[in-house]
Amino acid sequence: MSKILICLWGALACVMIGAEPVSFTKSVYPVLEEAGCRNCHNADGVASATRLHFPETGAGTPQVAAFGNSLVVLVDAKDPANSLLFRKPTARIPHAGGQRIVPGSPQETALRSWIDQLASLKGDDLAAALRYRDDSGGARPSVTLRRLTNSQYNHTVRDLLGNNGSPANQFPPEDFVNGFKNQFASQSLSPLLEDAYSNAAEKLAKRAFRNGVPATMIACQPSAACRAEFVRSFGQKAFRRPLDPAEVRRYEGVFQQGKDFATGAQLVVEVMLQSPNFLFRLEDTDNPKWRPYAEASRLSYALWDSMPDDVLLAAAGRGELDHPQGVEKVARRMLQDPKAKEALEEFVSQWLRFDRALTATKEQRTFPGFNASAAQATTEEARGFVADLVWNGEDFTQIFTAPYGYVNADLARIYKVDAPATDFARVPFPANSERAGLLGQAMFLAMTAKPDDTSPTARGLFVREQFLCQHVADPPPGVNTNLPPVTEARPVSNRERLAMHTTNKTCAGCHSLVDPIGFGFEKFDAIGQRRDRLKLVFGMIVGESKAPERKVTMEVDLDTTGQVAGLPNSSFSSPKELGAVLAASPQCQECIVKQYFRYVSGRMETAADRPQIHEIFDSFRKSGFRFQELMVATMMEQSRRTEGGQRIAVRNH
Amino acid sequence: MPYAITKRARVSRRRFLKGITMAGSAIQIGLPPLVSMFNSHGTAYAATAADTAGAPIESRFVFWFNGNGIPERYWIPTETGPEFHFSPCLTPLAPFRNEIHVLSGLDNQAANVSGPGNGHHKAISGVTSCTPFTGHGAGGPSIDQAIAAKIGNQSRFSSLQIGVSQESFGESIQRNMSWAGYDRPLPPQMLPNKLFDYLFGVREEGWVKRKRSILDAVRQDALALQKEVPKDDAARVEEHLSSIRDLERGIEGLPAEYRKVDPPDYDGDMKDWPQIAKLQSDLLAQALVTRQTRVASYMLTKGQGLARFPWLGLTAARHHDYTHADGKAPGSDGVDGQRILRDITKWHADEFAYLLGKLKSTPEGDGSVLDHTCLLYAHEHAEANPHKCSGLAMIVAGGLPRLKRGTHSRVMGTIGDLYLTLADDVMGAGLGRFPTASQKMGEILS
Repeated sequence: MSKILICLWGALACVMIGAEPVSFTKSVYPVLEEAGCRNCHNADGVASATRLHFPETGAGTPQVAAFGNSLVVLVDAKDPANSLLFRKPTARIPHAGGQRIVPGSPQETALRSWIDQLASLKGDDLAAALRYRDDSGGARPSVTLRRLTNSQYNHTVRDLLGNNGSPANQFPPEDFVNGFKNQFASQSLSPLLEDAYSNAAEKLAKRAFRNGVPATMIACQPSAACRAEFVRSFGQKAFRRPLDPAEVRRYEGVFQQGKDFATGAQLVVEVMLQSPNFLFRLEDTDNPKWRPYAEASRLSYALWDSMPDDVLLAAAGRGELDHPQGVEKVARRMLQDPKAKEALEEFVSQWLRFDRALTATKEQRTFPGFNASAAQATTEEARGFVADLVWNGEDFTQIFTAPYGYVNADLARIYKVDAPATDFARVPFPANSERAGLLGQAMFLAMTAKPDDTSPTARGLFVREQFLCQHVADPPPGVNTNLPPVTEARPVSNRERLAMHTTNKTCAGCHSLVDPIGFGFEKFDAIGQRRDRLKLVFGMIVGESKAPERKVTMEVDLDTTGQVAGLPNSSFSSPKELGAVLAASPQCQECIVKQYFRYVSGRMETAADRPQIHEIFDSFRKSGFRFQELMVATMMEQSRRTEGGQRIAVRNH
Repeated sequence: MPYAITKRARVSRRRFLKGITMAGSAIQIGLPPLVSMFNSHGTAYAATAADTAGAPIESRFVFWFNGNGIPERYWIPTETGPEFHFSPCLTPLAPFRNEIHVLSGLDNQAANVSGPGNGHHKAISGVTSCTPFTGHGAGGPSIDQAIAAKIGNQSRFSSLQIGVSQESFGESIQRNMSWAGYDRPLPPQMLPNKLFDYLFGVREEGWVKRKRSILDAVRQDALALQKEVPKDDAARVEEHLSSIRDLERGIEGLPAEYRKVDPPDYDGDMKDWPQIAKLQSDLLAQALVTRQTRVASYMLTKGQGLARFPWLGLTAARHHDYTHADGKAPGSDGVDGQRILRDITKWHADEFAYLLGKLKSTPEGDGSVLDHTCLLYAHEHAEANPHKCSGLAMIVAGGLPRLKRGTHSRVMGTIGDLYLTLADDVMGAGLGRFPTASQKMGEILS
């Protein structure tokens, strides 16, 4: 009885408050932000497949207000208390993200009053609310200057000076941001890096002129005209565009500081290699003189990971890159060059985190054969596997389904197959191995495991982030991440051990999205060997030198039922089955497009990029998922401009 | 003999390089007494040191970082006050009882702001800069950089970043303790031979003049390009320009005496971290003694570090693995795990004690270099396993007059309070404010 009274009183209060409209931006949006809804409900979140997508952080008030109105699709107008928008965050019905808003709290009251207001929307207001699109209104970040990555630096000095020394390997390490090492956001320039550039320029210039003036660089006889000619021709290669007359004059001045012709030329080279015009490349520019050359650089660093060659610069000069059809023609030619293969390897090695695979170390007593060369072999397999799919023009979704590996002796031991006569020859996986594609290959299975044990969490995270482009929020600070130990009295599998992740509400929100993916791989151990049951060894003291007094070995059964929450029909129990799910999933297919887009754009895609990404995805799908077509389509889409010459931010379809 | 170091630098280069390749044997670079540099009272540089005549001996600031947290029960002394007993982890510092002040109870407020990042990202951003993690890096200048911006401008290098453990895990936030500003990491130099070259490397005749004109031409390019690009990108070119200025200053400050040393031919084993730690400490001490910088950061191991400790008999797992009871590594909550963490954090203190010893044994003026230095010793967390960011323990060391020493204090306040007090009251940097600082921490002042 008293409960009903309170409810009535609550309803009355709502009606009374209702007299004054609720401001979504002021009183409701902050509540949802505090509840952390956006962590999953964003375009790249684990809840990206739901109808709730938060606008990007920093969105303007009008956009936030429009977003608030758009939530009407989650409101039951006849029975507001029955709205998904009310029942999901309060966990009155199952919510993968757990209870974000506590029933009875002021936060809930604020949400509820907004729901009531939305329930009363009618006519034009309702129509306007439903018209909201989350890809409108966002501006595309303008990125015009991109610093050469270490890999691009190496390739560029190779093509510019014939230097194969890979000097950038000595530069400070690069960060993975948005999954890649070439992102604009990570390209700050520290004094240590500047010092490294300066030292490298000095050494490279010295080396180039160690035997006097190389004929490949200067064909003319020493003279004032030859000096200017050298500045112009070398400058055009180094800066990837023709030099302005003022620049030519300035560099002639530098040249003349040398005591003879060779040292003058060497000085010019040394200065140019430290110039921002060399270290940074223009991705876009308002300067119409430079624009075609910026386009040439964009193509060559995307498709070759190196500087444009003379042919490409000449094409730019003739205006052949000013329209998408020209870009397409040039891009197809560029893909025929061996440099394209290296460039793709760079993308693949970052996307699939070869760095993690190469530094994965394993407990030597448990996995005696798994050393650095075995770790290297796992990346060689992945490299050859992906390259063949791309360059043989095969359906790229086979990265998840191909029933074969590229095997050497190390991998043959892991896969329990006979080593082929030639290292890294293609070998079919045994029929009952349940392996397929990258997820069944040793690199993924080993790098996502700990030194001595698998990690279903790490495997699930890798699938979410790399193949579904979904970011899973980090665990909050101050959480005890200890799991109950596995003991002789309690011999359990990882599934039982990790159960705590789903019984504890703080952990469940994210772990229920991640761990169940990893459980499907539990029949593959920490280096990717097949195991049908889990062997547990007790009495072995790890990390201390004293000998075990006794050793007890026990075996437990493995339940490898897994699922990808949010993907329809995604139950699976082996890498092979998950591979089939992913290969057929539009979300996963589009993720391949997004990853390539992030890599070549040097930034995260925004709402404004979505139409372009859909367009590229469309071309990719129509081609039967040929990766080369994805590359060409990406180059073409990114070259589209408005009449005024600006890159197109949002296109209407 | 204006630069006593010169003579030593000439002979030490080969010995230094050779020493590194001899695995196992700790090489020490002997520091010269440098007495000749000071006046008869020992309080100021002697008039013979041409460009520093009559200047008082400058104070220096060293920010020292150890990755991961501590086992509180073995680290924080039980008693407070001057009679405290050295905890098992801190025993290496016993010889320096009168030069250190152990602090506990500090709060890293910025780490508790909700936002992107895991417990480590947030903690490291907070411990270094007292700002929340941006998603890529620290949200503002780290304390060493805030101080360097005020007091570093007269030195050859406004600051130095030195690192030891080169394991490759993590991104900027784990790898860097020094931040020039929002998302602007300053990577540490982790290779002793390169650090040596940076500090004492000698150049061919005419190199300085040549380098100066090269950088001048580069600057003109940068200024021209700055006009061509939008504002956001111009900031990036400005960063380039400012780095060029740093380089130029380093070249200007290159003492003439260093021009006759052999080029490096280094090929040592770079995984022997206790040895590298000592080499880096030697170089840091020399950089301070030769007044090449007043501010330095020293990153012994990385944030969320995965260092291995074979010399401690720990071969099964890596540091971070040991802090969490994961896999078969004995976890931090068990007795074995806590002992392992005790041994690891005691090693941190060992290396810190080595640097203190180096600075203390180097006479300067009427005392030692340590007397003119303030050192701050930090871990990213208190107890490691729960990523605890409250109740942090740190050590302030050195002999600057304003520092209280020889005690353990349980304080109330933020690390921002501590940093601001060190910067302004001890170093005289005059920052006026620092993130999360709301008051001065009087407990650390004498």
